[in-house]
Amino acid sequence: MICENCKQRPATVTVTQVRDNQKVVRHYCSTCSQQLNNIGVEEPVSVQQMFADWFGIPTWSTNSPKSQQDIEQPNACPDCGMTYQQFLHDGKFNCPTCYDAFREQLPQVMKRLHNGAVQHNGKVPGAVNETYQIKQQIEQARTEMRKAVEEEHFEEAAVLRDQIKTLERQLRGGEIDGA
Amino acid sequence: MEHESLFNATDVKWMQGDEEYGDIVMSTRIRLARNIQHFRFPRAFSEDEAFKIDQLISSALLDSDELDQTFEHFDMSRMPILQKNVLVEKHLISPQLAHKERTGSVLIARDESVSVMINEEDHIRIQCMEPGLNLEKAYFNADTIDRCLEEEVPYAFDSEFGYMTSCPTNTGTGMRASVMMHLPALMMTEQIEQIISMMPRLGMVVRGIYGEGTSAVGNYFQISNQVTLGKSEEEILTDLQSIAEQIVQREVESRRALLEHASVVIHDRVSRALGTLRYAQFITSDEAANCLSNVRLGIDLGLIDSIPTAILNKCMLIIQPGFLQQYVGTMLKPNERDIHRASLLRTLLTDNHLHEKGDDSYDV
Repeated sequence: MICENCKQRPATVTVTQVRDNQKVVRHYCSTCSQQLNNIGVEEPVSVQQMFADWFGIPTWSTNSPKSQQDIEQPNACPDCGMTYQQFLHDGKFNCPTCYDAFREQLPQVMKRLHNGAVQHNGKVPGAVNETYQIKQQIEQARTEMRKAVEEEHFEEAAVLRDQIKTLERQLRGGEIDGA
Repeated sequence: MEHESLFNATDVKWMQGDEEYGDIVMSTRIRLARNIQHFRFPRAFSEDEAFKIDQLISSALLDSDELDQTFEHFDMSRMPILQKNVLVEKHLISPQLAHKERTGSVLIARDESVSVMINEEDHIRIQCMEPGLNLEKAYFNADTIDRCLEEEVPYAFDSEFGYMTSCPTNTGTGMRASVMMHLPALMMTEQIEQIISMMPRLGMVVRGIYGEGTSAVGNYFQISNQVTLGKSEEEILTDLQSIAEQIVQREVESRRALLEHASVVIHDRVSRALGTLRYAQFITSDEAANCLSNVRLGIDLGLIDSIPTAILNKCMLIIQPGFLQQYVGTMLKPNERDIHRASLLRTLLTDNHLHEKGDDSYDV
């Protein structure tokens, strides 16, 4: 027979407990029986449980279903389909767009987790401010320009072409500055 | 095999400690969580997304000219379980990555001070380790990798919430800075509970040696920042540094007090621990860790001088199930492990070269 607690070592100790007038016999290895005697079995609180406790539907709402409806639920995440309820249940986001979908609700979640803080105050990736954003703008302008050419809106296309040139110059300048 | 040392118990950098804080602060670790725009997080992504992310990050780091380190890429699905366990015990990968059913991989620098986990809970987890209390250097190294990656891949970043991570407990800086401390005197004098209970108010958290959800085995505690939003990286590091220094101070004071008021008890305790390790025929990893902690305390207090710290560090690694099995070369049942562990410890601690050096007396 193997130990019922660690399910690894052979059981060498038999523990008999009486609970609600029922006898429960358990078999543990010497290592586990010592540990269980000393501290008892404790389940660590999971993040999910913590979330459910904090942000899940409060217990009073079962008595007054009206107030449950009063709590406004944001739409599900347009990218991955995660609902706010599901987020509260899992305690995890499924994709970056979830942040945007639950933006209104997030400050109260963040407050709890980060000692009241709701606003990022640290490092910003250089790419977000400069290179990457410019590259994205160029990409977008190019698509629009191609469309404009196809639709024979040549004046619009020329404006876009100049925009792209300016952006490309910025990109080169920015990279030189950054280096 | 070129990277054979990766799976051996020799010279693990983060165990070496440093001079300023002795062996009280064993190591410093910085972890940055990052994700890539337009990809779902690993808990929800597709195999195809996983593959693309792995490609993006691996090529960015493997082909980089800017980094000093050379990286090697390991696919988790192709690594034998015994080797995975060794990497977990060396703190190069997390237990979560090792036990993932789906895709996941890791890039490990040659000197093992940097590892980048791919597709763990987040797309990217940059992790840097330094011996002793050295938050600045560890952060500098992590930041260097981060800057190299951000040029190649578009990070998921929000101007309100900062770096977007799968778990909202990492949102903001995505940074977890931690110091691993050996605090036997605070444990013996029962001050540790008070310190642990104080930490949340300071935005810090205390964990066991193997991270989230683990208990403090062998009097080792990992203290890290709980809060990642609202504070800058510098503020988090400064706060952790000052808290670590205060705890070191209290540990030093407690050790002094123990020596003054209970020197016989302490001497007895550390000597018995060494005796157990030298003569036990059957020992669990917890008991071994506790004995080794006492022996380390004995060395720090000058009560034991026959054991070099390097041997002690080796013992600490080798008592863990993964290393033990890698060392023996096969999977072992727990009770077999306890027997092999005891035998290895006897050999390491009563080895001939120990006798030559210290003539086996550990009296001052």
